[in-house]
This record gives sequence, structure tokens and C-alpha cells, in this order.
Amino acid sequence: MEKDILEHGLNFNRRRFLSRLSLGLGSVALGSLLMPDLFSGSIDESDILAGLPDFAPKAKRVIYLFQNGAPSQLESFDYKPKLREMMGQELPASIRAGQRLTGMTANQASFPLVGSYYDFKQYGQSRAWISDLFPHTAKVVDDICIIKSMFTEAINHDPALTFFQTGAQQGNRPSMGAWLSYGLGSENKNLPAFTVLLSRGKGNGQGVYSKLWTNGFLDSTHQGVHFSSGEDPVLYLKDPEGLNRFERRKMLDKLAEMNDMSYKEFGDPEINAKVQQYEMAYRMQTAVPEITDLSKEPDDIIKLYGSDCLVPGTFAANCLLARKLSENGVRFVQLYHQGWDQHGNLPSEMASQAKDVDQASAALITDLKQRGLLDETLVIWGGEFGRTNYSQGKMTKDNYGRDHHPRCFSIWMAGGGVKPGIVHGESDDFGYNIIKDPVHVHDFQATVLHQLGLNHEKLIFKHLGRRYRLTDVSGKVINDILI
Amino acid sequence: MKITLKGFAENVLFMANAFIIFLLVFGHRISVPYWLQPLGRMHPMVLHFPIVILLLAMLLEFFRFKDAYAKEKLYHDFTSWLLLSGTLFSAVTVIMGLFLSKEEAYSGSTLQWHKWTGVSIVLITTLIYYCRNSAWYKLPLARAGAVLTIFFVILAGHYGAALTHGDNFVLEPVSTPVEKASVPLEQAKIFEDVVMPIFSQKCLSCHNIEKAKGNLIMDNAGSILKGGKTGKLFVPGKPGLSLLLERIHLPLDEKKHMPPRGKSQLSEKEMELLKLWIKSNAEMKKKVMDLPANDSLRLLATAFLAPANAPEEKFGFAAADEGTVKKLNNNYRNIYPLAKESPALAVNIYNKSIYKPSVLKELSEVKKQIVSLNLSGMPLGDEDLKIIAGFENLRKLNLNFTNINGTGLKYLTALEHLNALSLSGTRVNYNLVKQVVNMNGLKQLTLWNTGLTEAEVSQLQKTNKNLTVIAGFKDDGKHPVKLNKPRLNTDVTVFKDAITLQLKHLINGVKIRYTTDGTEPDSLKSPIYNREIVLSGNTTVKARAYKAGWYGSDLLSANFYKSTYKPDSISFLLPANDKYRAGGAKVLIDNQLGDYDFNLGKWIAFRENNMEAMLYFKRPVTIQSVTLHAMKQIQPYIFPPTEVEIWGGTDKDKLHLLGRVRPDIPEKMEERELIKIEAKFKSQHISCLKIVAKNLKKLPEWHPAKGQPAWLFVDEIFLN
Repeated sequence: MEKDILEHGLNFNRRRFLSRLSLGLGSVALGSLLMPDLFSGSIDESDILAGLPDFAPKAKRVIYLFQNGAPSQLESFDYKPKLREMMGQELPASIRAGQRLTGMTANQASFPLVGSYYDFKQYGQSRAWISDLFPHTAKVVDDICIIKSMFTEAINHDPALTFFQTGAQQGNRPSMGAWLSYGLGSENKNLPAFTVLLSRGKGNGQGVYSKLWTNGFLDSTHQGVHFSSGEDPVLYLKDPEGLNRFERRKMLDKLAEMNDMSYKEFGDPEINAKVQQYEMAYRMQTAVPEITDLSKEPDDIIKLYGSDCLVPGTFAANCLLARKLSENGVRFVQLYHQGWDQHGNLPSEMASQAKDVDQASAALITDLKQRGLLDETLVIWGGEFGRTNYSQGKMTKDNYGRDHHPRCFSIWMAGGGVKPGIVHGESDDFGYNIIKDPVHVHDFQATVLHQLGLNHEKLIFKHLGRRYRLTDVSGKVINDILI
Repeated sequence: MKITLKGFAENVLFMANAFIIFLLVFGHRISVPYWLQPLGRMHPMVLHFPIVILLLAMLLEFFRFKDAYAKEKLYHDFTSWLLLSGTLFSAVTVIMGLFLSKEEAYSGSTLQWHKWTGVSIVLITTLIYYCRNSAWYKLPLARAGAVLTIFFVILAGHYGAALTHGDNFVLEPVSTPVEKASVPLEQAKIFEDVVMPIFSQKCLSCHNIEKAKGNLIMDNAGSILKGGKTGKLFVPGKPGLSLLLERIHLPLDEKKHMPPRGKSQLSEKEMELLKLWIKSNAEMKKKVMDLPANDSLRLLATAFLAPANAPEEKFGFAAADEGTVKKLNNNYRNIYPLAKESPALAVNIYNKSIYKPSVLKELSEVKKQIVSLNLSGMPLGDEDLKIIAGFENLRKLNLNFTNINGTGLKYLTALEHLNALSLSGTRVNYNLVKQVVNMNGLKQLTLWNTGLTEAEVSQLQKTNKNLTVIAGFKDDGKHPVKLNKPRLNTDVTVFKDAITLQLKHLINGVKIRYTTDGTEPDSLKSPIYNREIVLSGNTTVKARAYKAGWYGSDLLSANFYKSTYKPDSISFLLPANDKYRAGGAKVLIDNQLGDYDFNLGKWIAFRENNMEAMLYFKRPVTIQSVTLHAMKQIQPYIFPPTEVEIWGGTDKDKLHLLGRVRPDIPEKMEERELIKIEAKFKSQHISCLKIVAKNLKKLPEWHPAKGQPAWLFVDEIFLN
């Protein structure tokens, strides 16, 4: 024991010595020689820690309706009559151009083109084509901006999903919501700045893991908080039996005092993070029940979102909850709806998936609009990549599947300073390659940050000797879709 | 004759002057050979020398007759040399400049001014140099000459810079840009407001009246139609024959590509617009809106005219004191600047249980700075709007679901910057809302879920065209939706004496009707649920939710079992099947039932053996019935027991048979079911109970697995 105390004291002195040394004039001079931009002031990290946008933002909050598993663009927003005409014919090699395939179709002897089982129609003033699977989305087409020219680098679900969320295909980087929490802080100190809601459709599903809403190397206060379905969306928020609110307060105060002592001793910022999390949890005890209580919602809202919204854990219920969280100042509400991986049985599975999400997604737009919140809330709908224009496996008149296709797919965005009622980008007649205005995942991320008033090149965090960004080393804001 | 350096230089100066005059007189007749062009192009480089040297020389000349310097030889020699070299340099520069001006890029009045001021400098300084030693050259003349030269140097420099960098180069960053008034779409003309701006931005810097490269001037319709040196820019209606389109579509590396490499290029949309414009006969007068609704040119032009990225709003007030903002900020009142260094503040108020008007009043300290205020859901009254009316720079106000009824809206008319007002979910009415509709700056008003009818909302919309009134979604009742099932407050289904149930539904105004006699509840006669249901015996509760305008819900059905006595211990005489032992025999008396998922650990199964359970009471009890809760699922071989025997007594070695039941064995495939098997007998005083349930040893003939033993699944025993 005595030895431990001595060791601790020595450690403390060593640390002090080193920190003094690092402040010495000599090291500063040396530092400036080794790192020429040390004093150039190009990046002032204290600026970022202020937790304020670089410029006045268009959007204050984001609701990201992630369609996990990659919905087919060819049955949703990218109308390709040519594929119907050429049904069953081979995908021309000139179009495929040596594009890599997944292990699932790489050994397929032929690549028969397959057109959408579902018809498309044009809607709204924008005359955008939308498939019959999304009748409600079609009704709000003049409020959304469809991007038909997204592309990504990954070809399998997990890396692609991780890429969309964190800007890198391998895990361990902070998620988009964590970056926003880091860059902007919370609007409402009684709720986490970044929350996550999960739901699952009947279609072929792919996993989602908590690494997708990780804080990575950022302070752990920026981690996404998963609200589970059911009456108790946040676990352990109720006071334990026999402990009233007052006593809890006293306990937390004492605990904070002790944590502060240990912070003074060790200087570990995670200790402070922990205190803050306890405090937030205490305030969430009042805020969360109020938000998750659906009994105050007018009937029109239930009818707008569909009666599913009263069944905890459905996409519709999550959309409604997302609106309530967002309305209450949660910066980033991340939804995942699983079940979009239609390698086979696409016509029937896609129909059931679309039925799960269509009405509630459109309802969210209408609901935000009628509260005057759409212009300050950015809503995003889309998956991690697209699907091939040829059939995976056996193709019949009313059944086929589509494999992963990262080269070209569609997403939509609405509100938050994005131009309503436009279609951005174009794919070729085969829906295989982009022929106009390609949008890389990093461009998309740069645009989202831009709408929230953040310069994606300035939102950085230094970790393990290098500076990290959500957009890594690329990304351009897509000005064409912005108001 | 001895040739001095100075003499040589003076001779060169004389010849240079003569050459300049020659160039000026015969300039229009000569063209500069290509090998001399580099010399001309060095003009912008060399010109800096004469400027500096001449300025210095003129400074010295200005003070030349001062007593202190008048007799200094060095001063005079130095000045003389300086003036000579400066003049010589300026002469060379002027010659270079005249060469350069012969290249085709330059013309226009700025060039003329630059040329003549430059030449004047050479002439004046040459004159000064030759005359400055004459007897009549005295102080006033020296000063006048110096000032005049400096003036011309500045003037020539200025015009030169304007030629290279464009007008207003220096002051551009600080001068306020002339706001281009955006043209309303209805009035926009295709040529004037769409095509011409493209030319101005991308072509005019070379093809203007000053430079007129290739003799092409593009600042007005007439000269655009006229074309340039190479010919007409386009033939209306025939984009394929257009020189203009050819040049802009040439590859960037091509010499004739326009705009030249390094200049700002046309975007794809702009190229497309020009093409469509020429295709539609290069119409000069038409308005965009005159085109058919889905004409490509109209669509593109509309997109082009849509306001570009709106510039950030500038606020005309100073930032609030940082300390004040910090002081006012708390967990339920979040105040933050719109952006770094922005003086404007956004304020969000949360937690209605602690809201009081002082929360707003205290904000008066930063009333100038608040541009956005969110009070959504706060119990705010109309009088509180008076406080808000003092936030003079407020742009956006969210009053959704507050307690206001609209009588205070009149105060808000004082807010001249207010552009978005949300009143959804409040009790405001038409007449009160009318007061704010005519506010000048107001652009968006949300009135969803208020007392206003659809007709009233569209009436409001009509009064103010610049305002978007949002009525939101109102159910028209044409597409009723099915209610979801009511929910029970408990998942305990086994009780001792009595149980109190509560049924819940998330939708307001729902009527829940229920039965306790096993019949189906209906929307008319069944009792309406009210507060609670108390059960005291085995009961099946069935309930549905109803509400006008909705379809009735699916059926909620739940069984409740009474089990008055709980044995102190239980054990099996014969082991249960290995796969389904759950937590052992005590699972049968834990008051928890299983559902159809027999893997879930609530069920105990027997196949090889009968179930033989021993139940012990420390104190004797009086019972008259024993009920087994079992499962029937024909497909996976789960059958009811063929026979259940109840043995009991006060001594475990002397038990006697109390009762026996033989449940019906299914005779065909049946729906799965959870069943109760109850054995009733005369009231008995017992402290030990033995229950024997025999499973079906051979599945019947009609079953796919005929002959094999059936499974017996039991999850609970009730003793009453």
C-alpha cells in the first residue's frame, strides 16, 4: 500500500515534470521547426470546443431515416424503362466495365437485366418519378430533394454502413451524430444530443451494431443513446425502489464531489464526462417520460403516421418519437430500419418493407412542416448502397433478386435548407453508372455538416498524432441542392 | 571627342523620345513583329522601376533649392543621375507599352488614358532634365514640374492597374456590392434575366467595349446579334450551326475554346441553357413564364432564377455581453449564438413544469439580440406575448402547443423582423390571427391543429400573397384506421384472492368494452371499462377498443387464474424430460404462465414418464380443487394427459385418491390451445398432495407420427 502511494506520487511528479518541459521555450522553438504550421493558426482547436457553428446554419437538427440493407433504387426513385424493355437480356460488358461483384453473384454465369416489377408515375410540380410502392412519399415529392447519383466505396453492408456513418469503412471513428454533438453541443441539456432508434421489417435483414453510433475517439458524452422500444425506452431511468428524487439528488451531489476529487488527482477528462452523464440522466428522468408519452398526440397525428405508430418498436412509432425528440432539441436522431437486403424475393419483400416506412417517412415531413420546423430540420432517407440492375439468382416474371451495387443509388433529403422538389444527378439508361453530378458519401457528409453550419474541413479532432475529420481527406459540399 | 557615359545616356534618351513620337504618329500603320511581342509583354514588369526612380528624383528636385542642399554637389549629381535614369527607364517602358497595346486584347478609353499619361511622363521629365540647369529654372518651376510629374505617375499607374486587374480592384473588397435586385419569376425575361447574366459573368471581361477581343462585344443585344471577327455567334433556331456553342463546347485544351483556359468556365447548366435558348429562336423579348409549363428551357431558366445560396443575414446590432448570456443560460433555458462571432441569439425554453413568465422577463437583458425563440409546449399565456413583443429583432417564434388563445397576438405586430410564426396546437381563432397576417415581413405562419377551419385558413392565405399559411394535415374521416388493442397493466395472471386489472389505451377518448364471461365484446352492449376490473375467480377477460371515426381494435384476450394455496415445496417422483426441465418442479407453483413458446423455460415436459409430483404444506390446508395448466399443440406431438389423479392426506405415506379426471383426447388436428384440467372433489384437509398426470403413450392413427409417445407439457398447478 505504502509503495503504491509512493509510486503514485512519483508518477505525479514525472507527469508534472514532463508537462513543464513541454511548455519550455526550447520545445516550442523545436516544435515550430518540426511543424511549420504550428503557429500559423490555420486550425484553432479552441474554436471547435466552443461548440458553435462556423456560420449561421440552415438546419439545427437532423433526423436520419437509415434504410439498412440497401433498398433498391430501381424499385423506388430511379425510373429505368429500358430495363423492362431489355428484360432478361445480358448486362452489356461496356456498362459493367469490370465493376467488382460480391461473392454472391461473382460466380453467376449470366447477368440478366431485370426491370422494376412496380410501375412508376410522375408526381408533383417537380414531375419526379416515384414507384407505386411509395404512394405517401409521392405526395410530399415537392418537399423533398431526390439524389439519384449517390455512390460509395464499399460493397458489403457493414463497411458500407460504417462508411456512411463514420466516414471510414473500418469501425472506431466517431459517428456523424457524435461529430455533430461535438461540433454543436446540445440544444436541450435535458436530453442527449444524439439518439438512436431501431426497427425491423419483415424483409431479409442485416445487423446494426452499437459501433455505428459510437463516439470513437471523441469524449464519451457524444455517444449515441439508444432508445429501446417499449414503455421504458431508456433503461435504468426510473428511481430504484425505496429511493426518492431528493435522495438521489443528494447521492449524485456527493458522487460528483468525489469524482471531482479524483479528477483533480488524475486529470482524466473521462471522469468529468461521467459526472455530466449522471447529471444528464437525472434531468432525463423528467424529460424522457414526457417525450415518450404518446397519449397527448392528437388523433390526426396517429392517422398521419398510421396506427403502427402506437406499436412500440415499429418504424412508424420511431418516426413519431424522432419528431418528438427533434422538436425537443435533440441534434441528431438516427433511425435504422432493417430488412432491405433483397437478394431474392424482391417484389414481395420490397413491398412489405416499403409499406413499413412509406407512410411514416412522409408523415414526418408533413408533421415537421405543420409545426414550422421543417426548414430547420434536415431529414434524410436512404440506404448504404444500391442494388444491381441484373437479377441475382433465378429470374421469373414476378420474382427476382438484386445484389449489392455501390456505383449508383438514390437517397432523398428534405428540409434544413435543402432545395425542395428537385431531382439531383442522373444515372444511365441501365441505372448502373452515374452520368451526371455524382455525389460521393463524403460529399453527402460534407453537405450535412454544412447545413448545420459546420465546415467539414475544420471540424477536426486530433487523435494518435493525426487530425481526423468525418469526411477524412475529401468531400465537397453539393451546392446545387442547397437553398 | 570623349564619350562619357552620361553623354551616351543623354543621346539614347533623345533617340527614345524621337522613337516614341514616331510610334505615336505612325502607330496605326505598323504591326509589331511576333519576335518583338515578348518585349512588349515585359511592360508590366519593367514599369515599376521608372515609377520608383522618378518619384524619388522628383522628391529631390522639389527640395533642390533649399539652402541646406543648394550647395551640396553630391545632392545635385545624384539628383541628375536619378532623373536621367528614371526618364530613360520610363521611355523604355513607354515603348514596350506601345508594343503591347498593338496586341489585339486592348482597346478602349482606359487604354487611351494610360497611353497618353505614360507618354506625358516621358516628355515632361525629358524636358525637365534638359532645362533644369538653365538660369531661368527657379524654385517655383522646379516644384511645379515635380508635382506635375508625380501626379502623372500616379495617374498612369492607376489606369495601368485598371487595365490589368479591372476596375475598382483595390476598393472592391470594402465597397458594398451593388445588390442585384432579384427579378420575380413572373416578370423575368429569358434574354435579359437568364441569358445576359451568363454572358456578363463569363464573357464580358474580355468581350467588352474596352477590350473587345476578336472584335466581339457582348454587352448588349445588338452587338451580340452582330457577332465578331469570325462571324455571327449563332443562327436562331439552329444550335448546330452556332459558333458560340462550338467555342464553349470545344475541349478545354483547344486554343479556340471559350472562355479561355484559366478563366471561369460555363457550367453544364449554363451551356444547356444557351443551347435551348438558341434552339428556341434566341428569343429576345419573351418572358420565362410565356413558355409552356414543361418546356425544358422554362424549367432550366426557373431553376436558374431561383435565388442562389442566400447570403448570411447580417445583423445590425451588437453582441450581448458574454457574461449576461452565460448568467441567463441554464438547464431549461438554452441561449446560444447562431454562429461563432454572430451577435444574434437563439433561445429555447424547456420543461413546462418549471416555466413561469419570469423565464421570459429575464431575457429582456438580451432583448435586442434574440432572433429565434422556441416556447413550444410551454404553459404560456397571452400576456406573456407582451414581453416577447419587446424582443425587437425576433425573426422566428415558435408558440406551438402553448396555452395562448390569441388575444395577445396584437402585441406581436410590433415585431417588424418577424418572418416565421408557429401557432400550431393553440386555441387561436380566425379573427385574432387576422391581426398578424398583414405583418409586413411575415413569410410563414403555421396554424395546424387550431380552431381555424380550412376555409378560414385559405381566406387568410388570400389576404397576404407573400405569406405561406400552413394548415397541415387534417383527417377527412374518409379513411378510418383500425385502433390498436387496449393494453393490460399487468402480466401477472395468477392471483391468490383477487386481482385488480387496468386497461390502457394510448388514444384519447377511446372506449374500451370488455367481457368476463368468455363471450366476444361488442361495440354496443358490452360493459364499458371504467377505472378498473376486479376479478376473484378464474376468468377470461376479453376487450376491444372503440372510437368514433376509427375501426374497432383487434381482440385482447387474457386468462386469469386463482390459486389460493401455495405449497411450501414440490418435487417430482419421476424425472421430467431432459430438454424441458425449466427451473425444476418449483416452476409449476411460481404463479407465472408460459405462452406457446415451450422453449422459454416456463414449461416442463414429460414423454417417457408420467408426471408424478409431490406437494407439501407445512401447515395443513383445506382444498377442493386442483387445476393443471397444460398445452395442447397437435403438430409437435403435444397432447393433454389421458388421465389426472389427485391423491392427498395429512401423512405422505397414507395418501388416498381424492379425484380423477380424464380430459378429452383430440381426435383430429386441432388449433393449438392452452388448457385447464381441473379435478374437483370434496373439501379435504391435507398437508401432502400427489398429482399424477398420465401422458398419451401412443399417438393416434390419424397423426403423422402415429404410435410414438406424445409430449405432456405443464406450466402451472392451481390449488383452491
